Parts: sequence; C-alpha cells; structure tokens
Amino acid sequence: MPKYDIVVVGAGNAGMSAALQCQLAGMKTLLIEKHNLPGGAATSFVRGRFEIDPSLHELCDYGPAENPGDLRDLMTAYGVKAEFIEVGECFRCVSTYRDGSPMDVTMPAGIDAFIGKMEEYVPGSREKMTKLFDLFQEVLDGIAYITASKGNPDSKVLQTEYPDMLRCGAYSTQKVFDALKLPKKCQDILSTYWSYLGVDMEHLAFIHYAAMVHKYTSRGAYILKHTSHELSTSMVERFRELGGEVWFNCRAEEFLFDGDRCCGVKTNLGTIECNYVLANINPDIIYGKMMPKELVPEREKKLSTARDRKIGGRMYTAYFCMDCTPEELGIHDYTIFLPGTTDSPTEYANIMKGMEYNNFSIFNCYNIANPEFSPPGTCVCAFTTFGSPVDWNDLKQEDYFRFKEKGVDKMLKNLKEKLGIDLSGHIEEIEIGSPWTFARYLGVPEGGVYGYEARDWDGMMARMQMIGSDYPIKGLRPVGAAGPRSDGYTASMICGRLMALNALMDLKKWREEGGNK
Amino acid sequence: MPDLNIKVGLIGKFDMLKFKNMKKVREKAIQAAPANEVSGVFAINENAKALHPDFLELVIDRIIDRGGAQAKTFVLKRADDAPLPYFRAGQYISLKLPMDGSFVTRSYSLCSSPKEALNGEYAITVRSNPGGFVADRLLAEKKPGDTVITSGPQGFFYYEKLRDEKNVIGLAGGSGITPFLSMARALADGVEDFNLTLLFGSRDEDNILFRGELDEIARICPKFKVVHVLSEEEKAGFETGFITAELIKKYAPEGEPYSVYLCGPEAMYKFLKPEIEKLGLPERLFRRKLIDVTKTPWECEGYPQEAKGKQFSIKVKQGPQECTIPASADEPVLVAIERAAIKAPSRCRAGECGWCRSRLLEGTVFIPQENEMRRWADKHYGYIHPCCSFPTSDLTLEVPGEFF
Repeated sequence: MPKYDIVVVGAGNAGMSAALQCQLAGMKTLLIEKHNLPGGAATSFVRGRFEIDPSLHELCDYGPAENPGDLRDLMTAYGVKAEFIEVGECFRCVSTYRDGSPMDVTMPAGIDAFIGKMEEYVPGSREKMTKLFDLFQEVLDGIAYITASKGNPDSKVLQTEYPDMLRCGAYSTQKVFDALKLPKKCQDILSTYWSYLGVDMEHLAFIHYAAMVHKYTSRGAYILKHTSHELSTSMVERFRELGGEVWFNCRAEEFLFDGDRCCGVKTNLGTIECNYVLANINPDIIYGKMMPKELVPEREKKLSTARDRKIGGRMYTAYFCMDCTPEELGIHDYTIFLPGTTDSPTEYANIMKGMEYNNFSIFNCYNIANPEFSPPGTCVCAFTTFGSPVDWNDLKQEDYFRFKEKGVDKMLKNLKEKLGIDLSGHIEEIEIGSPWTFARYLGVPEGGVYGYEARDWDGMMARMQMIGSDYPIKGLRPVGAAGPRSDGYTASMICGRLMALNALMDLKKWREEGGNK
Repeated sequence: MPDLNIKVGLIGKFDMLKFKNMKKVREKAIQAAPANEVSGVFAINENAKALHPDFLELVIDRIIDRGGAQAKTFVLKRADDAPLPYFRAGQYISLKLPMDGSFVTRSYSLCSSPKEALNGEYAITVRSNPGGFVADRLLAEKKPGDTVITSGPQGFFYYEKLRDEKNVIGLAGGSGITPFLSMARALADGVEDFNLTLLFGSRDEDNILFRGELDEIARICPKFKVVHVLSEEEKAGFETGFITAELIKKYAPEGEPYSVYLCGPEAMYKFLKPEIEKLGLPERLFRRKLIDVTKTPWECEGYPQEAKGKQFSIKVKQGPQECTIPASADEPVLVAIERAAIKAPSRCRAGECGWCRSRLLEGTVFIPQENEMRRWADKHYGYIHPCCSFPTSDLTLEVPGEFF
C-alpha cells in the first residue's frame, strides 16, 4: 500500500473541496468515500425515467459571471466545470404574519427589485431596507476579510473598515432587526430564509443571516442543470485529473495514531498510512467512535458536552415525479415556503415537538427553474421539512414506512389547502427521505445535514475566530457543516478549502520541525 | 455608512467589545461544560443501520421442498435468532454466493410476510433453472445450517399508497410469484392495505408454485384473489392460455381505476408488453419487477455485431489492488469480475440499484436500452453499471470496494 501525504475521508462537499485544494498544492492525496458515489447529500438518484436531486434547493453563492459568488470563484480556482442555471425569483412565501394577517409574497432576485417589491408589500419600508442592504454588504465584506485572515483578523482593520459589522456582530438577527426599527411585516418577509440555516431568528447570528440573504438577493439563486451529482462527479474527475486518487465503498473504521499524532486510517480496503487526515466526519463521531478515547482532549470533550447534541437540520423530505407538467398542476413558482407561522422561534419549537405539531414545509418544483429537468410532459417536485428526535429516535422499524408517509400526507394536504395544488392522481414515482435516510447515506448524527446548530455562543462568527483552538488533534482535522463556516452547500466547500489550507500549514511546520520526510 | 442609525436600543457603544468578546464567550461556554466522554452513538443512526445493514450473515434454518413445481423455499435466520430488517412486501435480497472460487450474486424476492422479519425469519424460493449457473446448484447443495451472506432488503417493487390505485392487478409467471406471495401474506397479516387480484400463469396444474398457500390466503383474506392461468392444460376452474389484455379486463374491478404489477420471466414480459399497452394505462399505473440483463445482447438494438463471441481482457483496479482478467463479449462485465473472484459490489443485476457503479477508464461497452438507468453525470463521465454492460473491447475499470 503506497503512503499518502494526505488522506481525505468522506467525499461530501467539504471533503471534495479539501481534496482538490490539497492536490492543487502538490500533495499526494487520497480521497476515500464509504458510499459508492461522491457528494454526500450533493448527489442524485434514479427512479424509473427520472433523476432526482435530493439536496439542492438553490445555491446563494454562485452568481453570474460578472458578479461571481464564492462558489463560482472556488470552482474557477479548482478548474471544475459544471453547468449552472439561474433560478429567477428569490422565493414565494405563503403563511401568516405575526399580526395574524395572511401572507402571500413573491420576492424577486436583485437588490433593487427586492427592495422595490418589499415597498409594495410594506409601504414606507424602502429607506430602512436600503440601509439594511448596505449593512448586509459590509457584513459580507467583513466575513470575506476574516476568512482571508484564516481566523486571525486585525482588530484595527475591523474597526476602521467594518465598524457596523462589529456593532451588530454579537447580536441575533431579531435584535438587529428590532434595533433598526424594521417594520414587523418586513421582518416577517425577511425571516423566510431562516430555515436554510436551521436556527430561528432569536438565536441566529445577524452576521450569518445577513451574508446569506444578501447573496441570494444580489446574485440570484442557482441550481445545477443535471442535479448535484453533476457537480460532485465533476469535482471528483477534476481531482483525478490533477493526480488525486479516489476509492469508493471504502470506509474509514478507525484513525491510527503514532503517539498523539494521527498517522493513518484503517479501512475495509486495508490500512492506509499518511501524514495528515482531513475527515469529512462529524467530530462527535470521530471522538466517540473512531479514535482512542485517551487521545480525545479534555477541552474537546467539554465542547461536545456544551453542544449538548443540538444537531441542526435533520432532513425529512419527499420527492414526487409527476406524469404531467407544472402548468397542469397549477405550479408557477420554483420555491414556495409554507411555514405555519412567520414567528420563527415558535415555528422551530413546533418542529422540535414532532410531526404532530410541525406545520413547516418548503415546496419546490425543479422544472420551473429548468424545464428540461425531467422528460417532456413530466415534472419533479419536492417537499422539505425537518424531523425531530421525538419522532425518529424510538420509532420501530415496523412503523417506519407508514410513519414516513403520514408526514408527507400532511404536507400534501397543506399544499392543497393553501395553494390549491393537488399532486394526487399524477404521482409516477415517489421517494421519502427521513432523518434515518440521511443518517444512512451521510453518516451524520441524527440525519442532521447542518452539523451543530449555529446558534448563540456557537454561531458561525465565534467559530470562525476559534479555528486555532477547536479540534486540536495533531495530524487530523474535521471538515464539514460542524466546522467554522457552519452549514450550507457552499459553506461546506469553503470550510473544506479553509481546513485544507490550515492542514497544509500544519504539515509544513511539522516537516520543518523534523517530522517525517 | 455614517448615516446608519443602528446605535439604538440594545445596540450601543460596547458592541465592538462584544464582537471581540465572542471568542471569550464561546470559550467560557465550552469550559463551563463537564468533560464527559463523547459517545458518538445516536439513536437515529443506529436505527438506520439496523434497517439498512451493509450485509447480513444468515443461516439456512429449514428448507421446504415445493415438489412438482421443482422449487425449494429456504427459510433464513440469524445465528442468534434476532429480528431481521423489516421490509416492504415485494422487495428482494441479494445473495452473495461463493462458487468454485468465485463470488456470485443473485437476487431473490422475499416471499415471506414482512411481519416474519420481526420474528427473525426471511424466506426466499429458488426454482430449478436447468442450464443456469446458480439455481440448480443452490437446490442441490445447500442444506440447513449452511450460512449465506445477503444484502438487506431492497428494490422498488412494492405497493405505495400515495402513488398506486387501491386496486392492483398482479401478473405473475413461474417463480415471479414470490413477491406477490409476500404481498398476499402482508395483506392477510394486515401489514398492507390494498386489493390484489393476481393472475398467475403456470404450465399446468401440477406446476403451480404455492398453490395451497395462495388459495388459502384467498379464502381467508377478502383483499386477495388469485386466478390460475394454465398455458398447457384445459381444466374447469382455471383460465387457459396466456395472460392477455382481455383477461386482465375480465378480472379488473368494474368502473374503478387499477394499477398493474408484473413479475415474470423475460419471455412473459415481451409477450405482455403489447397487451398492457392495449389497456391504455398511464405509465404511473404500470410497474414491473426488473428482470436480469439479457443473455443474448447481440439481439438487442444497437449491438455492434462484430464484437459477438470475442474474448477481451479487463484491467481491474480496486483500491490499492490491480489485476487483469479475461472477459467474454457475450457476458456482462460483472460476470468476468465474479469469475475472477474479485469481491466487487453488485445487487440487482439489472442496472437499477447502481450498487456496482464503476469507472470505465478505457475501452467500450454495450448497454441494452432496457437496463440503461444511469445518472446523467455518470453517462457523461464514463461510469458504468458492470452488471448490465457488455465489453466490446479491452477495458480498464475501477471498481469500488465491498464490505462483507
């Protein structure tokens, strides 16, 4: 068995990105993946004459060529080619404002258009909204600066260049909205995206939210033309082209240590020696199951306990392949948010209480964004909501299939009642993904694709500033949604790159200090 | 942004300090927590693993001879009798069989009720297939106490109430009865809830597989009906000839919509295809259990005839290993891999499950249209499903690992 400079364990978005970065830096890199496909959730599956994307609603960070987002820049830097399609509008949201009145809004992409539309729905909001978007921009620039500083920003630069980001940086989105005296209805409409980060507005850091909303509105949302599997496969192909090796159905069972330094991985295809491991695995799983207990630092045990298993985004999804067109079903929007209420703390609390109380769903129709998504005369739709451990921890196998259907029945009924869209009688293929499904394929705790909730003290900005302190295992760094950039399709890729750059510095230092060759 | 008036209410002059303090606040929260051992065990993940194991190691508990039907039922259990993964009636398991120094997979529909899985039992039925590589050897050689490695239950040939009509017409031929038997048993057990009318084609009365069981379930369960269709015998109480559109209409519920499910040999499917078209059902109401890839690829549309009968070699890479193996143009790539005793993944052998997905680095293959179920990007980047790809040149192939 050859020895590698770096082994990347797990070909999720963060793992693939990390592997590409390492290989680009000239490291002899091996990427292993326990499944027979790359991508993790960024994949696809085939049912009958349909190919379905299980994860992707929309990417906020690709952007047009003239205004590229982080993802486009990253793919350019890696030399990865894949075809993206612009989605068009930001979203439609059908719900109830916190004052009890009904909400049905459709928000366009483009900052001016977004602010203009908001003025229509909430007259008199234009000035505040304009200020808010200026603040968003500053936040975005500030994050870019902090990312570039690899977790060590210069406070003077922060104070002179990004003072308003600093001013609101330690607060929740709700607090900043209130401080800005943003009209309540404006807040309700703006709150729509909270579910993309899996933390309600009272507990979600403003900076984090600001960055995401700004990206969606300024750059528009994108999806892959041929599902996420197109992007994952092209990333893997590019990695191979650069000289990297990829082994599928190769599962890391255990990390091997030489003293206190990780020096290899035990897998079903044999033991692999290396000088560094980047693991696209949740730290709780690494510490709890994959390394000697005595080597887990006290501080990391405390971090795990402090997080108290607050796992983010346990996905519960349903995919419908329809034997008719969106028009025939009366579907005209790509993304429709259907929260039970725009009061996000209440909404999230209800989700966590279990299916009986959960009234939250997002409805997508891929063909609205991409008419060629499925064969002519057909379309593919999907529901997304979150599962709660209350339902899925103790569920018996013999009740599992029926239970999965029950929640989907509820979402279908809701769609019919709220929008008059009736899918029954046209479903050719259906697949339901529960937290069990995501746990099965991704190995993530509780099927949570958002890692740990990025809330309160454990928000993205705090994590970003502590890259140097978290996960201090020599020769081993975790990458992924549990990492400093928190959750998100692009965030995971950026995290992968960031951690790879850190690993490269670690390796260089280790070699300079007389480490192995 | 000097005009940005955000210094109101809760946001004041100490906010910059607060920003800088984020790090301290987080470290304080971490340090305040006890240093408990990290467990890494999550109930949801354990549940998922139990329902979808990498593989199962089962023991043949007993064998039931099906007499005139030239078949045997193998009842499989775990060595410790623990419950087996639950499944949907109609799903199959894939057996991994060591044979003469090679590894062969064969999929068999579970014919027991899902309920039996909770009692730790699966049943599959193997029918004699003279000239085949596996079935007759299984029938002759396997005895109680032998172990077999299998996949977990899988496949999409099951009733789905959000998609299907309440009435289902099942069309079965020969050993294609097994998934329907599981459905009938599930209906009788109350595990499933729909109306199944089964048109079951057999050669003659003596040849009817599971005759007794099927008639008994039909007697006690109002949701299940069976109609025996004999191709080579005319007898009162039986339909004679082949299953046709007319026969389906005769037994279909009047004025009510219905779904059609088909499971049978390739010849039956070819015969029934135009018959089913006559029914004018939308595509969503017709489902068929996938059949093994063709044994005569040269009869398929688009086959490069010059390849027929040729011998090729395949360079196979798997993780750190590499070897070169012989291959025949007349057999799927997977068969060459199995003959060489390479433990490579495969399950459905029909192109559907994608478990054998491998990367073709060099060479060309022929894929029958019936079995072309690859993802777009896999086609684009040259990944194939070796179970239904026939070599038409020398190949270099990268195959994934296996877990058993």
